[in-house]
Amino acid sequence: MHVPPRTRRRYGVAVGAIAGAVALVLAGCSAPASSGPEEITFSYLWGGAEAEAIEAIIADFNASQDEIVVSGISSPDFQKQLTSLSASKGSFDISDHFGNAVGSWASKGILEPLDDYLDENGVDPAEFAPAAIEQLSYDDKIYSLPIAVHTFQLLYNKTLLAEAGVEVPSTMDELAAAIKATTKVGADGTITQLGLGDPSPSTTITTLGYAFGGDWDKDGAPSPTDSGNEKALQWYVDNVVTPVGADKLAQFKSGVGEYMSPQDPFYTGKYAFVIDGEWRALNIPTTAPELDWGVTSIPYVSSALADTTQLTVSTLFIPANSQHKEAAAKFLSYLVSDDGATAFSLALGNLPAKLSLVGSSAYDDIPEFSVWLNALAGDNVHALSSAPYSAEYSTDLGLAFDDVITGASTPEEALQKVQDNSSNYATD
Amino acid sequence: MALANSIVRRQRLPRWMRGWRIIPVIALSLIFVFPFVIMLSTAFKEVGDIFSSPPTLLPTNWTLNNFAEAFDQIPFVRYLANTLFISGMSVLGTIVSCPLVAYALAKVRWRGSRPLLIIVLLTMMLPPQVTLIPVFLIWNGLGAVGTYLPLIVPAFLGTPFLIFMIRQFLLSIPDELIEAARIDGASEFRTYFSIVLPIARPAIVTAAIFQFVWSWTDFLNPLIYLGDPDQYTLSIGLYSFFGENDVAWGPLMAACVMFTLPALIIFLIGQRFFIGGLSAGALK
Amino acid sequence: MRGMTTRRRQALTGLAFAAPFIFGFVIFFAYPVAASGFYSFTDFNLFQAPEFVGLDNYARMATDERFWIALTNTLLLTITGVPISIIIAIAGAHLLNLPVRGQPLFRALVYLPSIVPVVVGGYLWRWLLNTEYGFINYFLSLIGIDGPGWLVEPEWTKPAIVIMSLWTVGGTMIIYLAALKDVPRDLYEAAALDGAGWWSRFVHITWPTISPVTLFQVIVNVIAFLQIFTQPYLLAQTRLNNAGSGPGQSMLTYAMYLFQNAFSFLKMGYASAMAWVLFLITLVITLVILVSSRKWVHDGSR
Repeated sequence: MHVPPRTRRRYGVAVGAIAGAVALVLAGCSAPASSGPEEITFSYLWGGAEAEAIEAIIADFNASQDEIVVSGISSPDFQKQLTSLSASKGSFDISDHFGNAVGSWASKGILEPLDDYLDENGVDPAEFAPAAIEQLSYDDKIYSLPIAVHTFQLLYNKTLLAEAGVEVPSTMDELAAAIKATTKVGADGTITQLGLGDPSPSTTITTLGYAFGGDWDKDGAPSPTDSGNEKALQWYVDNVVTPVGADKLAQFKSGVGEYMSPQDPFYTGKYAFVIDGEWRALNIPTTAPELDWGVTSIPYVSSALADTTQLTVSTLFIPANSQHKEAAAKFLSYLVSDDGATAFSLALGNLPAKLSLVGSSAYDDIPEFSVWLNALAGDNVHALSSAPYSAEYSTDLGLAFDDVITGASTPEEALQKVQDNSSNYATD
Repeated sequence: MALANSIVRRQRLPRWMRGWRIIPVIALSLIFVFPFVIMLSTAFKEVGDIFSSPPTLLPTNWTLNNFAEAFDQIPFVRYLANTLFISGMSVLGTIVSCPLVAYALAKVRWRGSRPLLIIVLLTMMLPPQVTLIPVFLIWNGLGAVGTYLPLIVPAFLGTPFLIFMIRQFLLSIPDELIEAARIDGASEFRTYFSIVLPIARPAIVTAAIFQFVWSWTDFLNPLIYLGDPDQYTLSIGLYSFFGENDVAWGPLMAACVMFTLPALIIFLIGQRFFIGGLSAGALK
Repeated sequence: MRGMTTRRRQALTGLAFAAPFIFGFVIFFAYPVAASGFYSFTDFNLFQAPEFVGLDNYARMATDERFWIALTNTLLLTITGVPISIIIAIAGAHLLNLPVRGQPLFRALVYLPSIVPVVVGGYLWRWLLNTEYGFINYFLSLIGIDGPGWLVEPEWTKPAIVIMSLWTVGGTMIIYLAALKDVPRDLYEAAALDGAGWWSRFVHITWPTISPVTLFQVIVNVIAFLQIFTQPYLLAQTRLNNAGSGPGQSMLTYAMYLFQNAFSFLKMGYASAMAWVLFLITLVITLVILVSSRKWVHDGSR
């Protein structure tokens, strides 16, 4: 029977595709482990300069032993991470993410519990900041280890403070006065200089919430309407928004330069104060070397709440679908060892997660770094919960803060709305 | 008489006025091209020059650093090769499959052509988010995640938009030509291959260009399905210029310029067919 | 094959030619659509088995404030974006049809934006729309207009999105250009002889002749705007991968909210339900357009 060429061609394509697929599956179930070193993949979200620094650390690890070879991939997209985690065979064996997703992922069984591996490799969870470990645990098991943590402190522009004749504030009232003195408005109400800027309104306000004695999660459930939170939000409105007007504030913020670039508003004198993380200490000398700046603890409302700060955590985890968990755990232990953690934190410009490194001389060269670092050992260190609802909760909080800052809602209403909506949150 | 005069008058515009027509055309293309001009000029600017208030168009100091850095930062040639491969294979798949299906919709007289047309239209209307996850799970189940297959195979199965476009074009081919071939005893496929395809070349080339540009700039699919960085495409490579807190604008724009050039060249070459082909009674 | 009726043979031929598409349709359309339909009645977080919840997802949509905001935003964008796109495309096509030198170059320049990858386009436009460092307000200031805060004032964010998507209208323009070349010259000459002005020529000759193309473009653009995701997603980002919804959630489109539910909140069931609702809305709107087309589309029987 004459088979027309088109049909033949189509058969060809179909057979080719199936053959290809079969070949791939077979290749996947590769030959039993060869006698060379075990290869594992470390996929990380960092890119650019940070990625280079991480590759250097990976190279160090590879050079220091012959059993494991780590290859690193820079893969900055979250969706990609998720799709890999959902595959039957993971495309990476160890990766990083943020602490507040741990509960959600752990509850879905995609993270490998680490307690046993830590025992095997002699890593003691008590060496890390308690707030961090708490965030990274779910159901009494540890699912991630902190690789870099961040605390938030109050940065200030010394020149602008001197101009306004203001001392470095240590109480909230002093800060309020300082903000007033350093906010400058033109004749038509246009802002030319803002007392307290907010590179990230969410972080600023949640940190202030803790500083006022509030708590954003209680007993495993969201607690947006906690009185400390409301006080903080109200304080923010009264001291930052109302004096200049919500419209003018939005207008001012629309014309600021890009974060952490030479045109960053804190670097160009548009903001007198910002609440931000320790990476600034490494960024400023290279990006804005002429800036005369300082940093101090977040002002307190009462002495019991002194040195409050918020902790956010970048974590390392091993996916449940990894095929090389033991090797990944060894690499993980290296990364959290004192040497590894120091190298890592220096490379990224973040704080190390280990309490033993607080006060380490490795960070002496970084100006003012100790202010952030020492805060790790404090009593008033808080972290947002990583419960499964955290993604929706932070989105809703962000929207609530936005409403309040633009004057569309009062603090009380906005926070109540979040509380009401929280009944819809996923519970696992 | 007055009418004839007015026609004559219209043809006797002074020479200097006849050129005026080009002005709005230039204005139009300038509007569309100026963001690209900015991209181009940023690629040659030094770091401190890029953000200024008020913004400046031309670099104060021209520099080729950004291009050097772009080559440094990402394995440009490898990504280029990968992207060319994927785009090329997709184009191949398109020109093989789309005319086939379009022919079934336009010239084969069978009862299924109406329902099939409706199905093609339906698939165009589908929001991609509906099928994103299930399709991923299918490929995952086949073990094809981490290969080029999910990026290439769909092109061999036809793209609704392009099928529809070619179909419209085929409709304008006189039926007599096809009837004549049939009467001569040619098989349907022979008719398709020897008679219809050559006439439809402009439309097919157009479809090929569209497909090339889509594959070339596709970001989401390579991102989801490619695992090994050796396989990455240029559009993913651009991502590496985005650091955690800052964007390397200079090298990014330089890489972008280099990224756009091949697609631009293909378009310029194929433009002849593109517009000429579309216009030959294509879109009735 | 002797003995088979012509009709049967034709049917087989049709099927044979359409085979690649049918194969793809079943695997990549019919099955996934059915699967997502199934998921829409479940609670599914991608990693664990879906849990049947009946109509809960759909009920939740009715009372979900953000759902309605997203839907309204998207409909507003569609209602404004589509007509403007079509008008600019037609006008531009006329310009590109003028007998001037260098038309191939101008046509290429107009199409050029479509070749720029969307990710880069997004960041580029975010920069262009910055009130301090961006070129848009700078050019406006040159002609004495005080530009608005495109990405911070809720009333201006949608125009910003429309402007950004208009940047890639070159493709539509080129298709219209081809259609314009199709209009028989002698019709124009006859009309000119009758003393018809250019507007009248457009309304009575050009518009009806290109109306099938317009129908196609309206449908295609409506679908595109209803699904619009990448442009607003990139414009609303505060930093890389820090998804935002714009001031007052004015930039939250349907597809963005869907995406957030699927990949941030891992609520695939709810996202699937949203996808289905969007599909149905698209179908209804397209049907309405198609039905109305009898009134204003001329199909060559002139």
